[in-house]
Amino acid sequence: MRACILHRDDVLKIVDLLRQQGYEVVAPFFGRGRDTRFDNVTDENRGQIQIHLPNPYHPPKRFVMLQIERLFNIQQNNGQIQIEPTYREPKRAIFGIRSCDIAGIWHLDRFFLGREFRDIYYEKRRKNLFLVNVVCTDPERDIGEECFCVCADTGPAARDHFDLQLMDLGDGEFMVVAGTPAGEAMFTDPIFRKGTDAHIAKRRAVLDVARKSFKPSTTSWFSAAVRYVSQGKVAEKTWEEIGNRCLECGGCSYVCPACTCFTVSDRRVGPDEVERVRMWDACALGGFTRMAGGHNPRKAVHDRRNRRFFRKLSHYFIQRELSMACVGCGRCAAVCHGDIGMPSVVEMIRRAAAETEKT
Amino acid sequence: MNPAATENAYLPKIAVLDRVVDEIAEVKTFYWRFEDPAEQAAFKKFRPGQFAQVSLFGTGEFPASLPPSPTEAETFFTIRTVGSCTAALHALKPGDKFAVRGPYGNGFPMEDYYGKDLVFVAGGIGLIPLRSCIIYALAHRDKYKKIQIYYGAKSPKDLMYLQNLHEWEKGAGVEFNLTVDRADATWKGHVGVVGSLFKKPGVQVPVENTVAFVCGPPVMFRFVIKDLQALGFHDGQIVSTLERYMKCGVGKCGHCCIGVAYVCVDGPVFTYEQIQKLGEDI
Ligand SMILES: Cc1cc2nc3c(=O)[nH]c(=O)nc-3n(C[C@H](O)[C@H](O)[C@H](O)COP(=O)(O)OP(=O)(O)OC[C@H]3O[C@@H](n4cnc5c(N)ncnc54)[C@H](O)[C@@H]3O)c2cc1C
Ligand code: FES
Repeated sequence: MRACILHRDDVLKIVDLLRQQGYEVVAPFFGRGRDTRFDNVTDENRGQIQIHLPNPYHPPKRFVMLQIERLFNIQQNNGQIQIEPTYREPKRAIFGIRSCDIAGIWHLDRFFLGREFRDIYYEKRRKNLFLVNVVCTDPERDIGEECFCVCADTGPAARDHFDLQLMDLGDGEFMVVAGTPAGEAMFTDPIFRKGTDAHIAKRRAVLDVARKSFKPSTTSWFSAAVRYVSQGKVAEKTWEEIGNRCLECGGCSYVCPACTCFTVSDRRVGPDEVERVRMWDACALGGFTRMAGGHNPRKAVHDRRNRRFFRKLSHYFIQRELSMACVGCGRCAAVCHGDIGMPSVVEMIRRAAAETEKT
Repeated sequence: MNPAATENAYLPKIAVLDRVVDEIAEVKTFYWRFEDPAEQAAFKKFRPGQFAQVSLFGTGEFPASLPPSPTEAETFFTIRTVGSCTAALHALKPGDKFAVRGPYGNGFPMEDYYGKDLVFVAGGIGLIPLRSCIIYALAHRDKYKKIQIYYGAKSPKDLMYLQNLHEWEKGAGVEFNLTVDRADATWKGHVGVVGSLFKKPGVQVPVENTVAFVCGPPVMFRFVIKDLQALGFHDGQIVSTLERYMKCGVGKCGHCCIGVAYVCVDGPVFTYEQIQKLGEDI
């Protein structure tokens, strides 16, 4: 791994360099209201790219795990069938991806590329992906109310799994760390200067301040919640309370950088032509486990909520993928109308545990 | 390297329907083969208890057990119409094409059972996945000790794989016991739920060094488990297959999870001991 120093005015030149190398670059922008979003960089909007801003609700996951993806095009003519796999694998760079979302993509890597079967659609796209991580250092603009990457151990500075990592040292300078040979190859450009020991000390100091800028939220109980869920020590009553607050909208899965579930469906696109597509799915939705004949093993909504948190927090699954399916981004807390995002659920588990221990 | 690592795991291969045989009401057996003989040869290495994903393009894809034994020449599915995909398969005629991928799942570890007594308990269409193991065990008859089959159906009209039933009834080296819940005028055999066969005069279920295969509807499953436990079976000696809504069959879509297991890759075969440790009701 190597590090360089970059002047603030040159930061967006990384975007230019990537575009010159043929990458489609996506980067964070302010939306029309108070929202923020990842969008394709064009000559027109390039100047509006933001370095410090609240992390967009809609995670950059959708650039590797497409929300709707065509798997095959199928032609059916005169009794003959032809199946053509359709791959979308643009050379793409995500500029400004936060450390939590880097951990999210790492989780997707572990899940889709690991074990007996690999997901070739994901793999092809992932191979062409270049990640420029920006460390959240600005307490006002970067760090949100619900962020808990410090507890999930994914941030504020990702330790790995990026190509380049940028950290604002203040004073108009950024430290750039290369995480891969592809990232390091960028350093041949003269905008990257050699750093000094003083820069390294500064980096440490900035990170220290950033770490302390997070709310000392209830999620510091996160690892205890992992233990309680893993050991099945969360009472049925607590799951019911959590389930009662679920509106079954599936929003938590849609904004989660680490949710992987999808469903598959065929759609007719012409008289002799069918497409097989897959799209994001969510375990909150009632039909998720419904079987032919109408039998649904997970009928009660609390069974399904239990499922989500078990899948995300239990040791069993953390070991299975060697990565956790919760990255501490706090988005589920921000979108949930029933207030059962991860931080609230951890708090409910903590309170229930405190009560049982009292009695 | 595992070929699965480089292949498109979701890509089904073209299959041709050869013939269709009626089994019982709403259930038919579909004999098929892959268009590409190399594909057929590769597929034929499946294990009893595995399943395949069946594609009817424009409608969708569904999981189906493999009732044939790998020791048999033909490949086929036995399918009940319940919804859109199964109905689309039932609408096909010999010569029509569809698509299949697989085999998937763990299957029964038949080699691990060498030297043991095998007890098969099937209720209704639970005989579909068990047929494969029974034929396989009979084809390797010298590897196993006793082989007993207990099969129960709702009525005489609901008995499937009639030709096999005749063979097993007459066959040497296999003890075959049949029952129906409700008899009709022609029925001369035993009447009662499948578990009642264990108490039939002359029946002696081996327990000590035995594996019991149990497949059937949820109610039957619960009662048979109790009966077997009463006979002295440990939960680790009882094996079954679980069924879940499945979309991918390869451990990625998340639909088939029960507790800690992805049924499509960790199952569908589990011992009753494992089933109880999944951490979620089945
Ligand atoms: C490992 C395994 C092996 C199997 N082996 C066999 C076998 O050998 N033979 C056999 O006959 N069956 C077998 N099955 C069952 C078979 O897979 C199902 O019957 C089949 O998937 C039904 O598909 P369908 O398209 O016909 O039904 P669908 O049309 O998909 O649905 C049928 C019913 O499911 C419900 N449903 C499904 N999806 C939705 C949704 N999104 N929204 C609302 N409702 C929904 C509805 O209630 C509907 O009536 C097996 C299943 C598994 C998991
Ligand atoms: S069927 Fe998709 S994960 Fe099992």
